[in-house]
Amino acid sequence: MSVHQGLSVTGVSKTFQSGGRAVQALENISLGLPAGKVGVLLGPSGCGKSTLLRMIAGLEKPSDGTITLNGRAVNRPGRDRGMVFQDYSSFPWLSVRDNVAYGLKINGDRNALNEGTVDHFIRAVGLEKFADVFPHQLSGGMRQRVAIARTLANYPELLLMDEPFGALDPETRWQMQDLLLNVVRKERSTVMVVSHDIEEALYLGDVVFFLSRHPGRLRETIFTDFKSSLPQNDREAFLQSDDYRRLELHIRRLMRDEGLDAA
Amino acid sequence: MTAKLSDKATGQRLVKAGISEAANHKGPEYWFDFNQAIPGSQRLLLGAAGWITFVLVWHITSQMDLAPERLYPGPVAVFGALQELFIEQSFLSDVMASLTRILVSFSIALAIALPLGILMGSFARVDAALNPLMGAWRYLPAPAFIPLLLMWLGTGDTQKIALLLMGVVFFLIIMLADVTRQTPKVLIETAKTLGGGRRIILWTVLFRHSLPGYVDTCRQMLAVSWTYLVIAEIVAATDGIGAMMMRARRFVHVDDIMAGIVTIGVLGLLLDTVFRLIYRKSFPYLGRGHS
Repeated sequence: MSVHQGLSVTGVSKTFQSGGRAVQALENISLGLPAGKVGVLLGPSGCGKSTLLRMIAGLEKPSDGTITLNGRAVNRPGRDRGMVFQDYSSFPWLSVRDNVAYGLKINGDRNALNEGTVDHFIRAVGLEKFADVFPHQLSGGMRQRVAIARTLANYPELLLMDEPFGALDPETRWQMQDLLLNVVRKERSTVMVVSHDIEEALYLGDVVFFLSRHPGRLRETIFTDFKSSLPQNDREAFLQSDDYRRLELHIRRLMRDEGLDAA
Repeated sequence: MTAKLSDKATGQRLVKAGISEAANHKGPEYWFDFNQAIPGSQRLLLGAAGWITFVLVWHITSQMDLAPERLYPGPVAVFGALQELFIEQSFLSDVMASLTRILVSFSIALAIALPLGILMGSFARVDAALNPLMGAWRYLPAPAFIPLLLMWLGTGDTQKIALLLMGVVFFLIIMLADVTRQTPKVLIETAKTLGGGRRIILWTVLFRHSLPGYVDTCRQMLAVSWTYLVIAEIVAATDGIGAMMMRARRFVHVDDIMAGIVTIGVLGLLLDTVFRLIYRKSFPYLGRGHS
């Protein structure tokens, strides 16, 4: 499986050393995500989905296999693969505006700074009224918006998100999912999201990669083409569609099988 | 400023209002509750009450003939002596000599400890190489080196500054390293995926995140500096607050000795306050209630 424009993971395995024992976290994962699409890594806890995302980011090295983005091999973190973490990752000493500008500043990207990129993305996530506020004055949802704006303002080729809304209450989480989809559609970003929530995975993803655990393997790739016939930003229509119900039940069964495996 | 700007701010405000209303109707206020927050005015008043009680007890006991006045002067006599020291005996130059020793030795200590601490706190390999060595030096009491320092450096300022340096620098290194190490991993990894190199992340994340901790560590270690100052100035010194106190002992001028103690206390408190102010003004993003 090889995609020229986009993300390509080929035969990736990861083995950890734990207490003198080698534990295989991921085994022979191959998957592709075309440019401009949203992919979701879904699976039970312990399936290694976060590890896979961190390897794509270059924060960890695969024990075996290769990862390429738009034809270039990944072996260390870089500006082309921005990551949004679950924990609050705003720099507490910087205002919202300075947080969003951080990536452009450290890269010396004067042009982007002058073109109003920072304000554009602050507006895109609806934080224009809070641009001069410090992160500690913001709610959890707003801090994640800062993180999303900061990462997108840096124009990554791939946006990586590690359970970005996992710490938020359900209502804020839904809002954030819609906000993310709107921004991503407008910017035509390529996105890979880690999630353990079936609804979130199907709502966000153009393609959902279901991983099984012990060791993590790619068990099934699920495409959500059915959403193209549904109105955008209409969660109710999405949840009531037959395709959603069918896929949700299907994935729920996959999850249940995984649970039995682990017990 | 302290209120969180929430997506559901109004709702939270209503909830908060409901809670405080309930508290108002609860009846008598409890004077002693665990981890209770108290108003600033009350804090000030209680602090002053503590001091007034102390000075009063000192005054009354000094009037009670428990000991000869020469050996146990009251607060009035000590403040008189303090005045006399400053006006008639050029005590100011002693104070300046002591302050200079503190500031010079501490600046040198910081110039050594900051780079080492940052590197040890940032890189596990540097830490592994230096921590056992620095950690062990901490347990060697600096005054134990006085005989050596006297032989190597004589009795002048160099020897005193060296003693102060030895007393502080190893603690400072370890503490600054600890502060640096506490930088959350998620901030470092965020900077990495935004394209930050090692040098940029060291300055814009690790150093910047640790800055408040550095200031606070310096504040604490300055207090330790004062402890060693007196020891340094008791041994073979001709000027400084400690030297003045040793001279006064020879002539049993207990009021002068006590005046020296008061001076050290006031100077220490002043430096401490300066650092607290710097902290509060420089790091508004931390909000209140830190340090």
